[in-house]
Amino acid sequence: MAAPLYGLMARFDTAPEIYHAAEKVRDAGFKNWDCITPFPVHGLDGAMGLRRSHVPKFSLIGGLTGFTTGMSMIFFTGAFDYKLIVGGKPYFSPLFAFPISYELTILFTAFATIAGMFILNLLPQHYHPVLKSKEIVRGLDDTFYVVIEARDPKFELARAKALLSAAGAKEISELEA
Amino acid sequence: MSTHAATISPGSTLASAMAPSSSLRAAANKALIIGLIGLAATGVGIAVSGKAAAFSYLTGLVFWIGIALGALFLVMIHHVFDAGWSTILRRQFENWLSCLPWLGLLFVPLLISAVVSPGTIWKWTDVGYDLAKVGGHGTVGQDVLWFKKSGLLNTTALFLATLVGFGGWSLLANRFRAHSFAQDVDGEISHTHASRFWTAVGLPFTALSMTLCVILWVKALDYHWYSTMYGVWFFAGAIRGALSLGMIITLWLWFRGDYKGILNNNHMHSHGMLMFAFTVFWAYITFSQYFLIYMANIPEETFWYSLREINSNGVFNNWGYVGLFLLFGHFAAPFLTLIHYPVKLSKVWMPRISVFIAFVFLIDIIYNVMPSLKNSNGDAYPFLSLNLLWIGTTVIGVGGVCVWAFLNSFSKTKLIPIRDPRIVESLTYHE
Repeated sequence: MAAPLYGLMARFDTAPEIYHAAEKVRDAGFKNWDCITPFPVHGLDGAMGLRRSHVPKFSLIGGLTGFTTGMSMIFFTGAFDYKLIVGGKPYFSPLFAFPISYELTILFTAFATIAGMFILNLLPQHYHPVLKSKEIVRGLDDTFYVVIEARDPKFELARAKALLSAAGAKEISELEA
Repeated sequence: MSTHAATISPGSTLASAMAPSSSLRAAANKALIIGLIGLAATGVGIAVSGKAAAFSYLTGLVFWIGIALGALFLVMIHHVFDAGWSTILRRQFENWLSCLPWLGLLFVPLLISAVVSPGTIWKWTDVGYDLAKVGGHGTVGQDVLWFKKSGLLNTTALFLATLVGFGGWSLLANRFRAHSFAQDVDGEISHTHASRFWTAVGLPFTALSMTLCVILWVKALDYHWYSTMYGVWFFAGAIRGALSLGMIITLWLWFRGDYKGILNNNHMHSHGMLMFAFTVFWAYITFSQYFLIYMANIPEETFWYSLREINSNGVFNNWGYVGLFLLFGHFAAPFLTLIHYPVKLSKVWMPRISVFIAFVFLIDIIYNVMPSLKNSNGDAYPFLSLNLLWIGTTVIGVGGVCVWAFLNSFSKTKLIPIRDPRIVESLTYHE
């Protein structure tokens, strides 16, 4: 029994071709699809209709957590758990808690940003159906591919194929899941 | 040797974007008249408030000097990094730099006051100054804290630093302007190399001379004080002022139509990121200064902040609120707005934020200068006073002169450095 269909993979030979093809696929209303290019193509994100990443939200939460952790740690150790006068200063002041809070803000923001990037990109991902294609290595070298996934609600095999050929695909192959 | 220089084909939209220069000259003259009225009003202030108005004049002048030096730094930073995207922005800073010799001229009255009436502004210009007038005892000459610093804090050093400073800055401004404008005509790459040479000389020179001048002009108003952060504090504020000015000019040119087809979102984003970066830098420097003094708790240092919070009778004064306003207005508000990507691209929000940052830079200068004007108890005069009026007239007066110089230069030069080797990179800038 043949494996279920993962999607369609269409080959393009130049950056302008895949750029315009991406615009057509975007305008056709597809959501679950991607472009594979050997190098970053400027403006392709716009042609694909990608919106701004959600990573900054992770960063903000990380930063706020770090700042709060720093402030509360200094408060807990100096003014709550074991009260101690150091250098004639009050038990707690946001002033001398600031350097540690600032460091933890940066540290936690960095962690949250990396983690957010991994989560949103579904990383680590050791297997991807496009790896079944023997030609995919050329997508890392000198060719461009558009991959439309079968799980996209708008996906119909014949219409998707027609769309890709109309967009100027040089070769269209079906991918197994 | 002009092979590296890019050329814009004639008949492109850029050529038609040049404004008629006659209306610009009329606007320049209007700015000069407003400036002269402002300066005359400050002159009235000297007659009414005397010493306090002289302090106000120093405040307003240092504000514009800071912005001009920030612009000078940004031009040099552009050259030292061989930057690409900021090429279109650099031309407007070059136009602005034409005000530097005029700022030097406007500083002359303050130098004259140090000779004619020593001790009016800088107490140490008069060794016999009676410290009882500002809540101390003895004279400046008997003060060991002055004596140990007298090698720097004297009238000769004040004159030398100011003259060398303005001389050097004006020379640098002249060189950068001359080479950039000449390149528009002949497209020679040698102009870029010459600018790079002047940058290599100019960056350390300006860093040192600006630090020295701001120490003598502003920090030494309270000559007991120590702070190793002072030069870099002024640098941070000056760059923020200049970046805000650059954003205002950029959007003025955008809404006037000149920058259509030139300015893109990536310029706005990078410019906004620089403003954001220097917001954080200013906060880092200013906090460090406060924090080190707070932790060390040495009377020769802490008095500077005590003066700006509490009077000798234990009553809080309104400078404390100014300090808090600086914390939230100069750090928190710009930080929380500029951090957003869409804000940095917004042609509605960026001019507002820029005007606000420039305004708070002025408040920062006021906070540094005005409390040093003490009464006989050694307390600062209140923030809300007639002095604010004289600061306002000075800001308008000196600002008018700066805008006049800018518009005069702007009307005579190309909108962008059309034959700069990096101009195509700047016009097609993409991150």
